[in-house]
Amino acid sequence: MAMQPESPAEEIKHLRRCINELVSVLALPATWTGSEPSRIVGELLSALLNMLDLDFVYARLRDSAGTNLEMVRTTSEWEPKPRAQSIGEILQPWLGNGTQNWLHPVRGTLEGREMLVVPLQLGMQGEMGIVIAGSKRDDFPRQTERLVLSVAANQAAIGLQEASLLSAQRRIASELDQRVAQRTGELAATDEELRKEIAERKSVEERLRQEEKEFKRSEAHKAAILDSSLDCIVAMDHQGCITEFNPAAERTFGYGRENVVGKHLADILVPPSLREKHRAGFARHLATGESRVLGRRIEMTALCADGREIPVELAITRILQDGPPSFTGYLRDITERKRNEDALLETHAKLARSEERWRSVFENSAIGVALTELNGRFIAANPVFQKMLGYTEQELKQVSFIDITVEEDRNFNLVLIEELLEGKRRQFQIEKQYRRKNGGTVWVRNSVSFVPGTERLPGFLMALSEDVTERRLAEEALNETRSELAHMARVTTLSTLTASIAHEVNQPLSGIVTNASTCLRMLDANPPNVEGARETARRTIRDGNRASEVITRLRALFSKKNAAFEVFDLNEAAKEVVALSVSELQRNRVILQSDLAAGLPSVLGDRVQIQQVILNLIRNGSDATRIVDDRPRELLIKTECDEGGVRLSVKDSGVGIDSEIEKRLFEAFYTTKSDGMGIGLSVSRSIVERHQGRLWAIRNEGPGATFLFSIPRSTNT
Amino acid sequence: MTDDQEQKTIPQPLVVVVVDDDESVRESLPDLLKEFGFTVLAFASAAEFLASGSAARTNCLVLDVVMPGTSGLDLQKELKSRGYKIPIIFITAQRDESIRKRVLEHGAVDILLKPFSDIALRGALSKAMGET
Repeated sequence: MAMQPESPAEEIKHLRRCINELVSVLALPATWTGSEPSRIVGELLSALLNMLDLDFVYARLRDSAGTNLEMVRTTSEWEPKPRAQSIGEILQPWLGNGTQNWLHPVRGTLEGREMLVVPLQLGMQGEMGIVIAGSKRDDFPRQTERLVLSVAANQAAIGLQEASLLSAQRRIASELDQRVAQRTGELAATDEELRKEIAERKSVEERLRQEEKEFKRSEAHKAAILDSSLDCIVAMDHQGCITEFNPAAERTFGYGRENVVGKHLADILVPPSLREKHRAGFARHLATGESRVLGRRIEMTALCADGREIPVELAITRILQDGPPSFTGYLRDITERKRNEDALLETHAKLARSEERWRSVFENSAIGVALTELNGRFIAANPVFQKMLGYTEQELKQVSFIDITVEEDRNFNLVLIEELLEGKRRQFQIEKQYRRKNGGTVWVRNSVSFVPGTERLPGFLMALSEDVTERRLAEEALNETRSELAHMARVTTLSTLTASIAHEVNQPLSGIVTNASTCLRMLDANPPNVEGARETARRTIRDGNRASEVITRLRALFSKKNAAFEVFDLNEAAKEVVALSVSELQRNRVILQSDLAAGLPSVLGDRVQIQQVILNLIRNGSDATRIVDDRPRELLIKTECDEGGVRLSVKDSGVGIDSEIEKRLFEAFYTTKSDGMGIGLSVSRSIVERHQGRLWAIRNEGPGATFLFSIPRSTNT
Repeated sequence: MTDDQEQKTIPQPLVVVVVDDDESVRESLPDLLKEFGFTVLAFASAAEFLASGSAARTNCLVLDVVMPGTSGLDLQKELKSRGYKIPIIFITAQRDESIRKRVLEHGAVDILLKPFSDIALRGALSKAMGET
């Protein structure tokens, strides 16, 4: 049966209502037993009006004499109550010859009321009359209503048939009794009239035969009804023996009529387990007239020829007649309906269990679970999630998850969401910070997935959220400790190196400066101390040579480290140096940006030496920006692929290089810094050259300079 | 400031002692100090200086920080503990803020980073002599 999309619960309710209506309609004939056709039709109309929410229902019956009986039932608001005849007159032109059921309802106006009407024939060809139902509803008649109406019409036909059959039987029976009694009396009274009486009897017999014929014709009519009924009709006599078993019953239970008529119904249709109960109930009824089943619709189990037990719906009527009672049972196999009902109930139960399980998971999950609309607005959040953020679910529903994400994480998060909605990814993980209600932040690890929509539900996002604040803090602390340790280790190494270089170089420098000063003073004296000046000048030259030797020694020291060559990632090496320099740069208020190329080839070399070069370039850059106050102090460290190698550059926004300085940049002891030694770039260049690379400087188009070095990529990777 | 003016203020030649393990310093610095008009004594170690008995007539001590054996800092403490109040000018080839802070706290006049200019040295000496 086609249904509007409804929830299983509503669907079940709807089906139940329809079934109840059908059952009520099916049970009607039982209450009509022995009733007049007008009562039967009147009750049917009232029942339909109440059941189906109709605005009116009209019936016209044609009795054997050819006279019409018209009846109408309308809703209470239909004032004044219309006369059946006037409704019939209005309907007459709509119906035409009225001999066929319409496929579609017809729209028309009835006493100023616009409505849809459907006609239903009573009897096979409408020979018994017609029922017309109408409603103002636009969806009238729904499929279930159509079903109820046609079943009702069918039942009414059965009721009316029974009524006419019964009245005929009664009439015949009472007439027979009367005549037999009369004739018997007459026989006893007069012997003489025997012949006459015999003749008379013959005549009576003849009439009896006539009556019987009529009765048989009527029986045939009844049989036609029995045969064509969709319901199983099984009749039994007062002894519980089957007297009738219609084709529908044959189909349903698998017995041929000829094999069961005359047998005890209990042995044929009642499952063994219920037989005792059946017999007891039947006996009780015969003895007392009480019955738990008569006139009611009951559901029970019936036995089939092949031993199957099937659920059936059963209505039993007692045929009132003189002499022992007989009974007619209307049965319907409801296996399919039961199965559907059970399936629906099962589906519903499954859904309910599934819903309950999901609820339980949601509520009791140890991690946060949040559902949001595609625009990020919260739909639901479980207790863990609420606790994590300090918001209630109600408060969360007022905001989107972006609103409570810390600003620096928003863009990245939005890009991922976009990719998710575009189908570029099934789900994603993100570690980010949420802003708690109390203003604090919480680190979370979110697994976000897109849940596609269904017919009933729009798509939504689901985030499984884990509080990783502690882990993050621990990691940060660990990293801090690590980098502090690394920093300390490197600073120690580096400062030891720097100190030894400084000591080595500063000693001769000190002598040079002192001697030169003395020399000048001696020459300036009056009279000039030429001998002393010559001695100090000699010493100045000697110390100059000594300093030069120190540098040569230092260079040799760097270049001798063959054993330290290894394959390494220049990006990683640069990152370490950056980490090492960050605090110093921050002190100098220099902003360092990194632009490290992905997929950079490895290089072969002395990692520590190259790091010293990078450190030197960063320090130089930082120093160059030190006097800059009118623009941001910026450094950009960048790696990229170079012809046959990799290149690292450090670009500063500092004072820049003038052409005079440029020539001498890489000379040892040349420095523009008040506290510089002038060996940084010189040593750096010798390190880079030792790696078969080159180190150079260029002036920026804007302010500042860029120092670059390029070294070959490693050949064995 | 001229030598004439200075000699008016300082009638007797003042004694400046240089203690440095580096020979080039002991060689070059005394010449410059003599040019300034001081009497100069040079020692290669703290022990030699203390053994010479010159401490009592030293008007200013130019002292290297890092030396084998007794360091410049140790000598500063030693002199203090022996009751000498000699102004000390430290000289060092290594920039080290913590050492600078320490020696100044212990009363050093100044600490000069090698190589230093004659002007820087002269300034420190004037400060040292002014304090005596």
